[in-house]
Amino acid sequence: MALLDIQNLQLAMRSYEGETQILHGIDLKIERGEIWGMVGETGSGKSLTGLSVSRLIPSPPGRYLAGNIDFGGKDLLKASDRDMRALRGRHIGMIFQDPTTNLNPVFRIGTQLVDVALHAGHDDPSILGLSKGASRSAMKKAARKTAIEMLDKVGIPDAATRIDDYPHQFSGGMRQRVLIAMAMIGKPDLLIADEPTTALDVSVQAQILRLIHDLVAERNIGVLLITHNLGVVAQICSHVAVMYRGRILESGPVREVLKHPSHVYTQALLDSVPTVHTKRGELRGLSGLSPEAFA
Amino acid sequence: MSLEIKNVTKIFGTSRKGEGFTALDDVSLSVKKGSSFGLVGESGSGKTTLTKCILRLESLTSGTIRFEGKDIHALSKAEMRRVRARLQIVFQDPYASLNPRITIHDIISEPLIIHRETVPMSSRQRTERVEELLLQVGLSREHLFRYPHEFSGGQRQRIGIARALAVKPEFLILDEPTSALDVSVQAEVLNLLHRLQDELGLTYFFISHDLGVIRYVCDEVAVIYRGKLVEQGPVDDIFDHPKDDYTRMLLNAMPDPDPDLSPFRRVE
Ligand SMILES: Nc1ncnc2c1ncn2[C@@H]1O[C@H](COP(=O)(O)OP(=O)(O)O)[C@@H](O)[C@H]1O
Ligand SMILES: Nc1ncnc2c1ncn2[C@@H]1O[C@H](COP(=O)(O)OP(=O)(O)O)[C@@H](O)[C@H]1O
Ligand SMILES: [Mg+2]
Ligand SMILES: [Mg+2]
Repeated sequence: MALLDIQNLQLAMRSYEGETQILHGIDLKIERGEIWGMVGETGSGKSLTGLSVSRLIPSPPGRYLAGNIDFGGKDLLKASDRDMRALRGRHIGMIFQDPTTNLNPVFRIGTQLVDVALHAGHDDPSILGLSKGASRSAMKKAARKTAIEMLDKVGIPDAATRIDDYPHQFSGGMRQRVLIAMAMIGKPDLLIADEPTTALDVSVQAQILRLIHDLVAERNIGVLLITHNLGVVAQICSHVAVMYRGRILESGPVREVLKHPSHVYTQALLDSVPTVHTKRGELRGLSGLSPEAFA
Repeated sequence: MSLEIKNVTKIFGTSRKGEGFTALDDVSLSVKKGSSFGLVGESGSGKTTLTKCILRLESLTSGTIRFEGKDIHALSKAEMRRVRARLQIVFQDPYASLNPRITIHDIISEPLIIHRETVPMSSRQRTERVEELLLQVGLSREHLFRYPHEFSGGQRQRIGIARALAVKPEFLILDEPTSALDVSVQAEVLNLLHRLQDELGLTYFFISHDLGVIRYVCDEVAVIYRGKLVEQGPVDDIFDHPKDDYTRMLLNAMPDPDPDLSPFRRVE
């Protein structure tokens, strides 16, 4: 059984203009050890797919018209809010684009990490290196220790001291590392990362990608990496799904799809990326292609 | 030379006690007429500060900036206004840089009104000029009386370019003009910039953090790191034979869409 199996996911969203179908039957299967890239232009439905897996789309405005999302023997679309709370942060880790909106500026980094570690520890004390029935104070102490270890692991220098800093004392790249630490602290089986490096400089991006890559190698987790950057996909993903207007146009192993795209849209996207080798006049956009050509 | 920047240093906050922050440190570069000069560097390296110094929105701590031989920071207000008509800027964010409450017609004619002494026109002539500009940037007459929110990001950036071109400048500063756009849309805007340069003989000072974009657009490039230029020269030289460690690091960090070039992928 696959780690995550999304079948025929159809989602509609309601706005003041009425209800519109956004996802038109997404099929995606992720195994352990795989990093799936989901690429596509703004508005193609990437984030809503990721948020569906975490069940973070409130209803209304969201409404699922069909499909299921199988994870750990359960259909997440049918899971109770309580089950989902237990899964999030424990079995499903999440990282979003903008670290400033996901760290609370008034709490120390440590307080926020220890909270997540305690939450995971209640569910499974072994995450904190404890056995069942450990005392509250032992849990607290172990949670802090785990938080420091995790910060150290994501490359925060001098983690034991910096854990007591506030978010604004960290650079953008460091804040994104904290979010990765937070997502990984519960030892999730699946990591959903929505544009985790989009707000970062390329040098920091390269470090974060290496971090995600190494975590997958070490813990054998599965990753859904949402990005609009084909370069990022080519770097660390084992597989890729190309999204266009709420549909996956093609998907498969990354070399197959990017080296020999079967869809004109994928080829057109590739032809629009300026690389350090692209010469004047070689770039093409999508305007020559009619939307019907992609259907 | 069109633009000559010589030994420019900009220190913020020197008036208070303490050291001050050196945003630009002895920067020198020259932009040839009709060419595209790229400035590449990561966030906070001082790129936007340099454009503000060129437009005289910031004073210099030391150094000179000459536009067609004239020392920009020594000009009178009236002389500066005439220079500004020939030296225009396109901003990064096509969402924030267009006034949402006025029509495309009014947005694009704004500089024609600001510079009415340099380029006198009747209101009829202004409307004709706006129509001409819309066609030039790949939009049409139908768009004249619409509002910014009715346009996509790429179209808004075309509107920003049309506005910058309204008074027929020779020189465009483009500060990350495509950073907020999807790559497919970016490709079209970059191709538009190529075409406009060929048609109008424009000179570009093009700022970006994306090395691929710089190579595509520019003839020459300078690499900026923490307010200092670490390396500059023809793009092919810098990209194919970088001498500076920082430039090399940037080039290596740039993710290429060819999976075989990934540092993580073992060769099977
Ligand atoms: N809360 C919402 N209400 C209504 N429509 C939404 C909402 N969130 C997103 N959408 C629409 O759903 C589509 C897909 O959005 P999203 O998944 O965020 O795209 P992506 O992440 O690929 O840029 C877009 O057209 C967007 O306008
Ligand atoms: N008015 C100002 N006062 C103090 N520091 C400033 C001011 N404007 C910019 N800076 C600082 O100068 C540095 C360079 O900023 P900027 O030129 O905007 O960088 P870039 O455009 O390359 O991202 C940054 O560290 C920024 O915080
Ligand atoms: Mg998104
Ligand atoms: Mg800037």
